[in-house]
Amino acid sequence: MNGSPFEIELDEMTLARARRGSVAACEQIYRAYHRPAYSVAFRIAHCPETAQEIAQEAFITAFRKIRQYRGDAPFWGWLRRVVVNHAISTIRRDRRHDAVTLQDFHEPEPPRQEQLGTAMDLEAALGLLDTEDRAVVWLHDVEGYNHKEIADLFGKTESFSKTRLSRARSRLRDLLQPHRSAAGGLR
Amino acid sequence: MMTRHEVRQRADDPLDLRGLPLADPPADGWPEIEAALLERNRRGRAQRIGGGLLAVAASAVLAFSLMLGRPLPGDLPADPGTTVADTPAAAATAEPTPAPLQEPPLESLIAMSQQLEGRIRAWRASAGDLPSDVLVYQVELQDLIVQVDEALSASPDSTELWSQRVNLLLDVTRLYENSLRREYYRMASL
Repeated sequence: MNGSPFEIELDEMTLARARRGSVAACEQIYRAYHRPAYSVAFRIAHCPETAQEIAQEAFITAFRKIRQYRGDAPFWGWLRRVVVNHAISTIRRDRRHDAVTLQDFHEPEPPRQEQLGTAMDLEAALGLLDTEDRAVVWLHDVEGYNHKEIADLFGKTESFSKTRLSRARSRLRDLLQPHRSAAGGLR
Repeated sequence: MMTRHEVRQRADDPLDLRGLPLADPPADGWPEIEAALLERNRRGRAQRIGGGLLAVAASAVLAFSLMLGRPLPGDLPADPGTTVADTPAAAATAEPTPAPLQEPPLESLIAMSQQLEGRIRAWRASAGDLPSDVLVYQVELQDLIVQVDEALSASPDSTELWSQRVNLLLDVTRLYENSLRREYYRMASL
């Protein structure tokens, strides 16, 4: 099974240098993780500018607090938690992302025949989800968070996570069904 | 026929979201992050230098205050007509307390930090909130104190961090002192 895109090991030397405040080491870490960091932020916020801001702030926070990383779990997991925490705080603080997303995708152009059933459909369908639903389905299905971890992130119960996951998957299936059927059915 | 691995993967990710490619950032964010890190390092160096000097100064002030039994600088007299020199504590200078100068700097800093905290609490209780224009600075200083406290939880014996904490608390006391002084002059001019 493919893991999270974050699962990139970091060598101890770079980590040690970054903890001592080496800017060059921080750049190495940034270069290694900036795509997965941006990607998870984008999948949650579904707005390129917001995702870029989330990733930037998360890296600055991570480098500022890197001495607090105790090394008892992989570094990528710690960094991912920082990014996801920033993303969740941002979407909860700024609900206007929903409005932007809906505005952008309210009337999507009809997909061209050759695009049917491709990743483009899934991407567009994700954009149509409620922000929190999208965050939950992404964190659960792609990043491998369990319901308790998601509930903790949102400060809610596990039922919240289960309900949102079920709703998000159901909505995605509905959105993808005509396309996938037309394309011969991926599922 | 699906393998067990495929069945599990389908259950975990039934819509194959993992099949989506990584999204590409619109721009290289490193220059901005680098600038923030360099600025932080620059401020950290300045604070360390200032903190080191302050540690010495704070220890000396604390030791001197304890030795003389006087309140710390920044204390306003309870009664505007009373000066520090008139207080009973000042009258007790004839019998100085024994040599706190021999305390190690770390303990002095911790004691001073506690003393300043108590003073701020007392001011806050008696004077209430600061005016909004000053409150902004107080909140910023409190945020910085929280950051220092976080660092102290990892290195509780760091003289450098304790001196930074004392430095920040002194800044907060100055805000209260100035605010009270302003209020005192305002009342006096009526």
